[in-house]
Amino acid sequence: MTKIGLEIHCQLTKLESKLFCSCKANYREFEANHNICPVCMGLPGSLPRLNQKAVESATSIALALTCDTPEKIAFFRKNYFYPDLPKNFQITQLNVYGDMSVGGEGYVSVEDKKIKIRRIQLEEDPGRIIYEGASERTKITLVDYNRAGTPLVEIVTDPDFESPRQVRVFLNILSDLLENLGVAEPGLEGAMRADGNVSIEGGNKVEIKNIGSFHDLEKALHFEITRQQSLFERDIEIAQETRHWDDRRKITVSSRSKEEDQDYRYFLENDIPWVTIDQSTRDRLKENMPESISSKKERYIEKFDIAPQVADIIASDRYYSKLFENAYSDDNAKDIANLITTDVIGFIDTKEKQQNSKITSKHLSDLIDAINSKTITRNSAKVALQEIMKSGKDTKFVLDEMDLGQVSDSSEIDTIISQIFEEEKQAVIDAKERPETVNFLVGKVMQKTKGKADPVKTLELIKSKLNQ
Amino acid sequence: MVDEEEIIRVAELMKIDLEEHGEHVSRVKKMLEYFDILDQIDLSSEEITAQQKSLNELRKDEFIPNDKKLIESLKNFREHYVRAPKMN
Amino acid sequence: MNLNTSILKYIEDVKSGTFTVEEFTAETLQRIKDVDSDVHAYLSLNDSALNDAKLIDQKISSGEKIGQCYGFPISIKDNICITGTKTTCASKILENFIAPYTATVINRLQDEDAVITGKTNLDEFAMGLTTEFSAFGPTKNPWNLDYVPGGSSGGSAASVAANECLASLGSDTGGSVRNPASFCSVVGLKPTYGLISRYGLISYANSIEQIGPMTKTVKDSAFLLNIIAGQDANDDTTIDNDNVNYLENIEDGIEGKKIGIIKEMTTSEGLSSEVSTATKDAIGDFESLGASCEEVTLPTIPYTVAAYYTITSTEAGSNLARYDNIRYGYELESEGYEYNSYISKSRAKFGPEVTRRIILGGFVPSAGHAGKYFLKALKVKSKLISEINKAFEKFDYLISPTAPVQPFKFGEKIDDPVTLMLLDYNTVTANLTGKPAISVPYRVINGLPIGMQIMANSLNEKSLFQSAYALESKTNLPEVPL
Repeated sequence: MTKIGLEIHCQLTKLESKLFCSCKANYREFEANHNICPVCMGLPGSLPRLNQKAVESATSIALALTCDTPEKIAFFRKNYFYPDLPKNFQITQLNVYGDMSVGGEGYVSVEDKKIKIRRIQLEEDPGRIIYEGASERTKITLVDYNRAGTPLVEIVTDPDFESPRQVRVFLNILSDLLENLGVAEPGLEGAMRADGNVSIEGGNKVEIKNIGSFHDLEKALHFEITRQQSLFERDIEIAQETRHWDDRRKITVSSRSKEEDQDYRYFLENDIPWVTIDQSTRDRLKENMPESISSKKERYIEKFDIAPQVADIIASDRYYSKLFENAYSDDNAKDIANLITTDVIGFIDTKEKQQNSKITSKHLSDLIDAINSKTITRNSAKVALQEIMKSGKDTKFVLDEMDLGQVSDSSEIDTIISQIFEEEKQAVIDAKERPETVNFLVGKVMQKTKGKADPVKTLELIKSKLNQ
Repeated sequence: MVDEEEIIRVAELMKIDLEEHGEHVSRVKKMLEYFDILDQIDLSSEEITAQQKSLNELRKDEFIPNDKKLIESLKNFREHYVRAPKMN
Repeated sequence: MNLNTSILKYIEDVKSGTFTVEEFTAETLQRIKDVDSDVHAYLSLNDSALNDAKLIDQKISSGEKIGQCYGFPISIKDNICITGTKTTCASKILENFIAPYTATVINRLQDEDAVITGKTNLDEFAMGLTTEFSAFGPTKNPWNLDYVPGGSSGGSAASVAANECLASLGSDTGGSVRNPASFCSVVGLKPTYGLISRYGLISYANSIEQIGPMTKTVKDSAFLLNIIAGQDANDDTTIDNDNVNYLENIEDGIEGKKIGIIKEMTTSEGLSSEVSTATKDAIGDFESLGASCEEVTLPTIPYTVAAYYTITSTEAGSNLARYDNIRYGYELESEGYEYNSYISKSRAKFGPEVTRRIILGGFVPSAGHAGKYFLKALKVKSKLISEINKAFEKFDYLISPTAPVQPFKFGEKIDDPVTLMLLDYNTVTANLTGKPAISVPYRVINGLPIGMQIMANSLNEKSLFQSAYALESKTNLPEVPL
């Protein structure tokens, strides 16, 4: 049986500052080496100053993943030399003096399986090494320390996965969850990374590192399983080792540096006192935690009778669910949900568009009210939506300005119907013979009124005129 | 007994080149041998402790830009990047 | 003008117009010029000291608000950072390191109008207790230039003793303030861990070290502590001291106080007969001041030096890992080198003692050896803390000589690592337990000083100063013959 375990690293990019200093947590907007200070550069005499909110965010993640959260957390130094590590040690967490990392055991349900979380720890991201050209030929290593000290949460699972597909489902659930918590943006390049370990029946565990994306992770796991199986079939022992994913050749390669031999000399980071997190703080974090996606979805379905697919779409996207939650009242919830999934999504389908859109929950409520009170047609609502997203103007103002008010005055519609009957004589004959073709005439009326005519009334009037 | 070979190996891990420094090995060895005294004390009931601080006393999450010129005061800096030696 | 004056007397004199800040500073700089070629207390001087003094005089004459220090001259151990100036740690590897920021203690001193004279010598990265391990040559003991001044803050102690300033800031990891204070006959305080911000102090063993004032009198020590102590947002390990005024009631005496004489430190093998005699005298003095003295035993003490060196080398091995010469350091082009060989070559600039401590620091916490050394050392620390806390339930103070011996000649002990380690025997306990301890000049025998150490419970510096002031008032010491 194949066993896969994961080590996921997720940057807490929603924080303002780095883990131990006041530089920007999200380093992406800066010129190289322009988001650094004496602390994150590890200059002599500087001291780390732990970010309170980073501890809170990491604790929220632990709580959301049902992990045990300890009363006291401690930080450790992981000592090794590397050019991206300004102090030549990384401040991280470890559970040697009891459970003192932000999260202990927990689990995530993936389909029918429980994936066990072993621990969650808070640590600093190293800087970035810039590789230029083929590494064999470069005479120098270029380093950008902007990322050094970015708060990073490491989530370690037990080897509970049986297939790369299960891994993918889990990672989707996890990134939705992290995004929903409002602590991370898994979509940002490099913000969420995962290493894996793989073993097959009767073989040793192999770690795979250096995987750039989740997409590559799946490929790397597939490659590794196949590699191990073919060794097994040929009766060759599978060595316990660390391998690197070679992105260019799409294979895993044995690491030259023997990571197993590394002695990190872990010991307590005494510049940071043990941090006590009392029960009331943990309760507060739990209370303030956004509802999980699955319970949100359930609530939508049960309370408002919203179709499961619709509920799923809205619940799993923070932007749509916020729009929805703030717009609904008990009687129009279902209509608003449908408006979002049929029309809004079509216009704002990317994060960027979401950010730029000026639509508010009030707009949605107003539009649904207008439709339900027959002030406008569903069609007009769609036209108005487009304008509202751009301008953010008040719904009523937009409806007036664009002259989208519904035409429900019978004599006005009647006049238009008479015109159509003149222009579409053949269609009138057809409709008399085959009543199901009447929609063509309704469509013509709509065309002429730019969708403003009350469709129900229009149909009534046409039918009565055909019968005359 | 402390193995001198091991002291040399550890020195290498600490990026200390011991060539021509034989006396370091013997002095380190003497110090380690003195540390054997730690075997003579009963520590079975001792636990490791440390200073403590409550969560709300920690630094508030606030972005304060640092002097952009810091990098220029450091060395090995060229065209935005710090130049480290090549990795093997 | 008498340069051998206390800070408090100096302030009185400046206020009364006996001399100006500029006059006193100029005289001090002249003194440095005259004697420092012999003493070698300083590694670098503050070029703008005289100018800083003039500005303070202007403030005084214009009636502007003036800081508490009134421009008294203070020297700073060269492991404490000041923006734009060299901070070398007496190491070749930081020979040209210019800190881009200033330590909290320096900001506090400058805010109160102190004049910094310069940076003082130390054992490289504060590892040692003779200054013989400075990469830039040793400091001499002003009491006898053939003798070591103690260490690692030897330059600081010598600069105060030789009247090259009125006070100095040192750092104390295992006795580095108190030992040279004892050897040079000045007052040296190692405060409660966390009382003084370490922001800007280049770490050696960060879990136990503190910056400490070195002064001519106990009152000056209290005065300086008033200025530099207290919580600092830049150092998460600092603690709140409720803005205690350490000078207040300092003359209250120790009538009725209980003093424990630490048996292990007053009967140890390495104790010299002169130091032993002086200690007995000191006990007599404490009793004559109305305190009751009783022997107390702290059975873990014989293990503390091993624990201390295990912990400090572990932390040093990690704290000094950053000196890879990539982001700062000395000129050595990285092109053409492979990473590991470049770092090893760069780190060959470390001096012998630092090199050895780094190797030890790789050894004792390593996966295969942590159980035998490092974890035991941490447990010795825990055990010692329980023991001393218990002792402080009964006693107000615990006393011992600061060092088991008087100053010795250069080269005398440098070749024997174990002898060198044992010189810390009486001082490391305060660091391992985080308790405050002060060394008070007590005797000068055969022309060489002896200091007495008093320890108190955490954050009891105020009471500690009362006892130190009482003991100081019992002494009548000669002037330094330089």
